[in-house]
Amino acid sequence: AEAVNPDVLKVSLVAPHQAIFTNKEVSQVNLPASSGEMGVLANHVPTVEELAPGVVEVIESSGTASKYFVSGGFASILPGSKLSISTVEAHPLDAFSSENIKSLLAEAQKNASSADETVAAEAAIEIEVLEALQAAVH
Amino acid sequence: ATLREIETRLKSIKNIEKITNTMKVVASTRMGRAQRAMASSRAFREGDSDFFATAETSTPETAEKTLIIAVSSDKGLCGSIHSQIAKATRAKLQETPNADVVTIGDKIKAQMLRTHSSNVVLSFNGVGKEAPTFWEASLIADEIRKLGDYDKIEVMYNKFVSGVAFEPSVFPSFSPISIEESPKLSEFELEEDQAIPTSLSQISLTNAILNAMAEGYASEISARRNAMDNASKNAGEMINKYSILYNRTRQAVITNELVDIITGASSLD
Repeated sequence: AEAVNPDVLKVSLVAPHQAIFTNKEVSQVNLPASSGEMGVLANHVPTVEELAPGVVEVIESSGTASKYFVSGGFASILPGSKLSISTVEAHPLDAFSSENIKSLLAEAQKNASSADETVAAEAAIEIEVLEALQAAVH
Repeated sequence: ATLREIETRLKSIKNIEKITNTMKVVASTRMGRAQRAMASSRAFREGDSDFFATAETSTPETAEKTLIIAVSSDKGLCGSIHSQIAKATRAKLQETPNADVVTIGDKIKAQMLRTHSSNVVLSFNGVGKEAPTFWEASLIADEIRKLGDYDKIEVMYNKFVSGVAFEPSVFPSFSPISIEESPKLSEFELEEDQAIPTSLSQISLTNAILNAMAEGYASEISARRNAMDNASKNAGEMINKYSILYNRTRQAVITNELVDIITGASSLD
């Protein structure tokens, strides 16, 4: 195994279509865990968290922070300060337009009261994701 | 053969060469995209395989219900891609004759139905035309989950080794129980109420299918490129051979006609 420095947090943020970070050394990562927001520093206790739709904030050692919106997934914190986040979709926050979110949200809210159970269930998921996204963009 | 017969033969070989050459070019242009899709799905899978490696999760040695998912595609003309998977799956079935088989792709379905038709429980087609997406993989995983619980799930796929080589390989997919029984799971602090093993097992199945499809797609494209390259080369050789035969025969025909004419003319003297 490669020599690991446990005092530096190494993060991998991957979606099926692209790997945004691979083993990038950062100082802190904030995660939208389904049990609540959590911040991860180096030497965190190993765990696996399910992620809710929300913002992953990666703070580099230089202090610059980059924010990514993820649609839910898993974050596993491994021994040796290694954090891997796998999510279905991940995009930088500034790639979203707030008008688009608003119109999609309105449509989803309309569908949520549909008589068709599948449509209603899908709309409920859409609303959950879009509301989280709207809160994040503002 | 007569001159006319050789001519038609030559023409048809030239047409075949055009087709195989075009297929080769198409496969070459798709290669880049296929490899990119494969690389990102590999990275995606590493996320949870790291966890399983640390927790030392393993599939049970003896399983009552085993499921084998054989991943290939619908289209042929790509060398031994499909028969390799079929061979590997049959070898697995030798060990576990009662295992259920799910096939992804028409080619592997046809091969499995021929020898183990009673094992095949579900098959998918229409995949593998383009690079696979997470959406496709999760739809397939959903359908597979409807089949019930299995103690052991194995995904058979063609691992992309290099541009000229692939090998049939296996991804294990872990059931919630085997995740819970992982020897080193205590290294992790898991929240009890979140049912992490269940969700992890679901995502790992989807992940395994996606990665298997992406690897299989890349292997298939590169195998097709090689197969078509060989076919074009062979067609080229045949074209040369037949061109020479055609010209020789044409000369022979002319010589014969000349002989006829000269004999006719000299008989008048």
